[in-house]
Amino acid sequence: MPVPLYGFLQGDTVGLLILAEEAETLQALARKLQDAASLRVAARDPVRVVCNDKTMDLTMTVAQAGLQALDRFDVLAG
Amino acid sequence: MLGREEWLPLARKLDWDYSYVREDEVFPEVISGRPWLPHSEWKDWEESFKTSYREYVDNQYEKDMAVQAVHDAVGRIENVQKLALPWLNSLKVHAAALPLAEFTGVIGNLRGARFGRDSAWRTMATFGALDEYRHTQIPLLLFHPLLRLDSQFDWAHKFYHTNNWFAVAARHFFDELTVGQNAIEFHIATNVVLETGFTNLQFVGLASLARESSDHMFERMVTSIQTDEARHAQIGHPVLATVMKHDPKYAQYLIDKWFWRNWRLFSILTGLSIDYLTAPDQRPYSFKEFMEEWIIDQFLRTLDELGLEKPWYWEILMDELDIYHHMIYASAYSYRTTLWFNFVMPGPAERKWLRQKYPKYWDDMDAVWEQISERWRTIGPGAENELAVHGTAMPTFCDLCQLPLSAGTPRKNTARVLVHDGRKYIFCSEPCQWIFLHEPERYANHKDVVKRVLSGEAPAQLPNLLTEYFNLTPETWGKDVHNGDYEWLGARKDSAA
Repeated sequence: MPVPLYGFLQGDTVGLLILAEEAETLQALARKLQDAASLRVAARDPVRVVCNDKTMDLTMTVAQAGLQALDRFDVLAG
Repeated sequence: MLGREEWLPLARKLDWDYSYVREDEVFPEVISGRPWLPHSEWKDWEESFKTSYREYVDNQYEKDMAVQAVHDAVGRIENVQKLALPWLNSLKVHAAALPLAEFTGVIGNLRGARFGRDSAWRTMATFGALDEYRHTQIPLLLFHPLLRLDSQFDWAHKFYHTNNWFAVAARHFFDELTVGQNAIEFHIATNVVLETGFTNLQFVGLASLARESSDHMFERMVTSIQTDEARHAQIGHPVLATVMKHDPKYAQYLIDKWFWRNWRLFSILTGLSIDYLTAPDQRPYSFKEFMEEWIIDQFLRTLDELGLEKPWYWEILMDELDIYHHMIYASAYSYRTTLWFNFVMPGPAERKWLRQKYPKYWDDMDAVWEQISERWRTIGPGAENELAVHGTAMPTFCDLCQLPLSAGTPRKNTARVLVHDGRKYIFCSEPCQWIFLHEPERYANHKDVVKRVLSGEAPAQLPNLLTEYFNLTPETWGKDVHNGDYEWLGARKDSAA
């Protein structure tokens, strides 16, 4: 089941709804948000993913990171 | 027959003691509002400008004739066709947002006309209801016929009857402000906060922009409406003064709550019109400058006079003056098909002006516009390319104001998730969350557009959402006014080559 998340990309003007897969990595999740916001924000590399004020390991999956439906995650310039 | 000076005081102050029912049954707290006080505490309620029904009708007739004369002279379709395209789209925003919002004001005033706690208050609210009915009819009369010029003007009638995201936000605001509100909160929120505070944005700010834009019809309309507002807005101050005397904490809460809620709505309604949908050479000031001079300073003076404090979120508000409506405009531009009016992309001259007026965060906003411009350069101009320069993922909305999660800055969005009674909510800002937590029973069951999509109430695919849920069509949904065909885009590309 996809997990709907609130994604906030640093540099963007609005939060976006991102449908994540539990098994996808945070790296892939970050890329998904960057693609979704690419009209307004140029892609950056590297990036960091922050959940609940903690910088996460990008190799973790969405499930391992404890992200649940309607949680917030942030993608920041690394 | 009694003369005016003898008859008017008798007619406007006509209260009596009830013998067959209790006073709290005639004026139940749930609909009259709190604090519930016996009439003895309200009997000195006075309006400063007193009028009789006959005087009211005579004055309104004269004003309506004046509006009609200006309409006949300069309000025809051929006059409107001469207006600049961005300003024409500002008119579409107001054509949709204004008339039926005013109609909800009829309902709120009629509640005051029945459940207001003193007869003079009820008399004034009766006139207020008639005023708001006039403020519904005039913009409908002026704007809806422009449907013959442009089908987007159909939204003058349609807007509030749709589930368009901005209509959901506007309904959420006006339903609470007017339709479902008790008499005390209605008159404080509407008369003191909205009409004494924020409508200056419309009546002074937009009227002067309309003049600069040679839109004399719009200018006349709002100045005519202003004369009514100035009269019925006085209802709120004596109501607030009595609430202040008996429950100052509650009075402060109402002011804090409604100033924030008004700020959210007007920063979009008026902020976008002043800083984006008016040609730069026709902008005598920025939205922020206007807010500071006409809203903030006056509001602080009013608070001081009433013995109230500045709202606790004042620093947040001051910071938002520099950025919030810019975040909203860039977001809305990139989701323009979700709205019923067209957008202009700020070019180098506009961005220079915006940088000068908003130096604090403009670097971050400029990067966003540069990125959008680059997409147009890559794709090329043309109506057929509109959707290639458009957002694809679903934007998200606040569970209080129902507006996009666009608060804070591009570097740090201030949205916050809250779990309340086992359900997850998200708010754009601390004040929106604070309002929710004060009255969760009032807000908790409302679903924002994202929650409606996730629950299957609204379609998930953008084309279906636009046509089936937002009631838009390819003809009426928003576009770039030039379909990306800006001379400066080509010039920049050539010079870079």
